[in-house]
Amino acid sequence: MTEAGAAGAGAGAAGAGRAGQPAAVKRTVDVMGTVVSFTVLGLGEAAAETALDQAGDVLREADETFSLWKPGSPVSRLRRGETELAQVPPEVSEVLELCRMARTWSRGWFDPWAMPGGVDPTGLVKGWAVERARDVLRRAGAAAALVSGGGDLAVFGQPAPGQEWRAGIQHPWRRDALAGIIEVRAAAATSGTYERGPHLIDPRTGQPGHRGVSATVTGPSLALADALATAVAVGGDDALDAIGALDGYAGYLIRPDGSEAYTGGIDVLPR
Amino acid sequence: MKRAPLLVLAGTAAGFVGVLTFHTRPVSATTPGQAQPSAMPSASSAATSSAAAGPAAAGPTRAAAGSTLVRSAAGQIVQFGYGELNVRVTVNGSHITAVSVTDLQTAEPTSQQISEQAIPMLRSEVLSAQSANVNGISGATFTSRAYVQSLQAALDKLNVK
Repeated sequence: MTEAGAAGAGAGAAGAGRAGQPAAVKRTVDVMGTVVSFTVLGLGEAAAETALDQAGDVLREADETFSLWKPGSPVSRLRRGETELAQVPPEVSEVLELCRMARTWSRGWFDPWAMPGGVDPTGLVKGWAVERARDVLRRAGAAAALVSGGGDLAVFGQPAPGQEWRAGIQHPWRRDALAGIIEVRAAAATSGTYERGPHLIDPRTGQPGHRGVSATVTGPSLALADALATAVAVGGDDALDAIGALDGYAGYLIRPDGSEAYTGGIDVLPR
Repeated sequence: MKRAPLLVLAGTAAGFVGVLTFHTRPVSATTPGQAQPSAMPSASSAATSSAAAGPAAAGPTRAAAGSTLVRSAAGQIVQFGYGELNVRVTVNGSHITAVSVTDLQTAEPTSQQISEQAIPMLRSEVLSAQSANVNGISGATFTSRAYVQSLQAALDKLNVK
């Protein structure tokens, strides 16, 4: 890791001290089985640390409520029929309502109710939680922030005047490389079959299956973008067409043969 | 769109070299000590000068800002989904000036067509490294354990420009 350290020092020398602005505060939080990375701008260090504590709490609470790995979580108990919707935290109903929306918008390619073992909102929850963590930072008065967790990004503001946040899209077959770059104004989610194997379930068959190796969706809501990216990874071109018909959302698909497809409204660099 | 300062880009590329050199399926033909351009995710611009020939790099390529040394090196063999290929990268100082595919193996002849489709994407992705300057990585659904080797982790070590 020595080289990475040297790189960090070099970047610091280049980027230190934007006039009149507190330095960016960064943090990583180990939660939800992954690592969530935060960048906060425009808050003093003490205020930023406090806001980041609260944002981390939001992620941990989401994990406690929705984790299917934890047999005692409210959603796990709901799936086993040990409790009812009225008895679990209200966030569960909120998430399931978003799931219904995503199912309709994706023409059924995202369908938590078609998963084996009972309703499974996992494909939307991560984005929902990351988005809520971002909103904590916004309410705390930050000028801009980026939250990146498990392949999903939520941002607000600008990293520098006149610049948009830039996200690299993970290359599907090379973990050390990018397939392209997009600018993000609110939310971007990428779902793929490349890192955790063929874990996606095709709601039309109930079996593992996918028509894309990587699917990226951008839009105003990260919760929905996350679910819709899963839909495009599973449904391929048909699901991408569905995204193209939505206001404010855009999609980018890498098919299993390496060819690519786009909706309007997304510019993957370099072309 | 504004470009990042060169120093930052060079630092990013150097940071990836030697840190992010894993592949999903290791291939035995890798030569120890060779430069690993496949580990430079975001380097840059168009590979038009295919003949920027220089002495082959014997050791890992460290892209030092300000250097004008021209070097080229074959990378590790890369899995791209339907076979394997090898990429030769030519570096002039801290800039990638050329990327060429030097070897291509596919499992079956019918894969050749698929490969030719995939390679332009691979090439543009290697080239994109020079202009990357990204704030986050979308789609890196790593586990906590895998995070330390991820592009996102490398980014997190860098300060915001």
